[in-house]
Amino acid sequence: MTEINLDHLCNTLKSNLGCDCHVFEEIMNDKTLVIDADSLKDAVKLLDCEFDNLHLSAITAQQRDPQADDIEVIYHFYLGEGFSLLTSLLGEEHVLPSLISIIPGADFYEREIAEMFGITFSGRTETPSLLLPEDWDQGPPFIRKEDKDE
Amino acid sequence: MSKISIPIGPQHPLLKEPLSMMVDISGERVLGASLRLGYVHRGIERLAQTRTYTQNVHLIERICGICSHIHTTTYCQAVEAVLGVEIPLRASYLRALMCELERVHSHLLWLGILAKHIGLDTIFMHAWHDRESVLDVMEEISGGRVLHAANQIGGVRFDIDHDHDSMIRSALKKLHEQVAGLLDVIENEPALIARTKGVAPVSPEVIKKYCVVGPMARASGVNVDMRRENPIPPYDQLDFSVVTHPDGDAWSRTYVRVEEIRVSLNLCESILEQLPEGPVNIRVPRRVPAGEVIIRSEAPRGELFYYLRSDGTDKPARLKVRTPTLAALSLLPEQLSAIHVADIPVVLAGVDLCVACADR
Repeated sequence: MTEINLDHLCNTLKSNLGCDCHVFEEIMNDKTLVIDADSLKDAVKLLDCEFDNLHLSAITAQQRDPQADDIEVIYHFYLGEGFSLLTSLLGEEHVLPSLISIIPGADFYEREIAEMFGITFSGRTETPSLLLPEDWDQGPPFIRKEDKDE
Repeated sequence: MSKISIPIGPQHPLLKEPLSMMVDISGERVLGASLRLGYVHRGIERLAQTRTYTQNVHLIERICGICSHIHTTTYCQAVEAVLGVEIPLRASYLRALMCELERVHSHLLWLGILAKHIGLDTIFMHAWHDRESVLDVMEEISGGRVLHAANQIGGVRFDIDHDHDSMIRSALKKLHEQVAGLLDVIENEPALIARTKGVAPVSPEVIKKYCVVGPMARASGVNVDMRRENPIPPYDQLDFSVVTHPDGDAWSRTYVRVEEIRVSLNLCESILEQLPEGPVNIRVPRRVPAGEVIIRSEAPRGELFYYLRSDGTDKPARLKVRTPTLAALSLLPEQLSAIHVADIPVVLAGVDLCVACADR
């Protein structure tokens, strides 16, 4: 089993990508690093080279603050133990780089959070809906927190 | 030869649940395929945000009609982790017993479907007959064949006594004999071997690229099983082997799943042997403190992923569920490329589709 040294990984990402990166300790059973959205794709590329067994388990999107427009996206990996990259999309424009050129299996996960949270993925030709009907036009994306007050 | 696009589904005899595929063929060769999901999308992740943690146990159980118990188990483990409570050891053993029985019935269900698809009706009838005895056991101990309502936050809602123990042991003994017979057929039946050997092989590299998990990954030699990787009691106290096969073809997927039935039957016996005395549940608070957790468990189709975030109220702030079928489905178009049209049912069956799980 590969033991993840989070501080070492954080420093590696900082030095190789010149990005801001820090440890997030809130998620139980997981080692999490916070990284900016612009560096996400390069970080995953680097991880893919570094670890033979990089497995993308899921991508979670959520609004940590229901009143704000910011969306937090967490890429959950498994490397013999849980490891996640967390990125926050601030404001109303939510754009993330697509990972399907590195991990084709990310396709469904990206399509799901695109339709549920209104996130746009750059670097892929199209993002067809996955679960919602193709003619879905009922207001805000499906799991956004507008419904929290219901 | 010109390209023809054939729509399969959302309602089709080949499919037990609704899924839409557009398969491009040229003559007898498949050129490619695209998928459309969502026909049984119930918005469960969103619904979970509007219901209490206790109500959600029953909501989550309805994600799937085959592996309902592992869903509630994983969900309850997530809530219990954020609550910081430890359930009685007897409860965790009973949960695992149901999980393993569920794996046995799920794999037997799958074997029946594969056999039916390739015209081996005798195997189909044997497999589904054997599955009935597992469902009988699950019904006897929990009260439900498909939805067992066995879990609660803080433990389980059922207990087993001496009579149950004898009944389960007798069913396990019979199932061991039946599964040995099924394995013999899989290893030696020429028709089954001809329809599955060398069909749609998948390399470990492709498995990794497409994030595929469970028996499909293990049939391509990827040695991963969340019961061993991420052991939650009682799996840390049970001895079991992880079945793998290097070939990655439809036959290997069949072999791995049927061998896994044997492993699960052995695990059920070990659980009964080691079942500790004590209570089966504890009382827990209705409100869950702020916190977040990830739980990975091994469902019959592979790694089941739950992310739960609590904001300190009695309802989850976010519940993310990634089911193993969703990962496997992303590989399906790739798998369907460059096979014979007649092999489409074999490839579809090999995935062990659970569309309700994928759609949520």
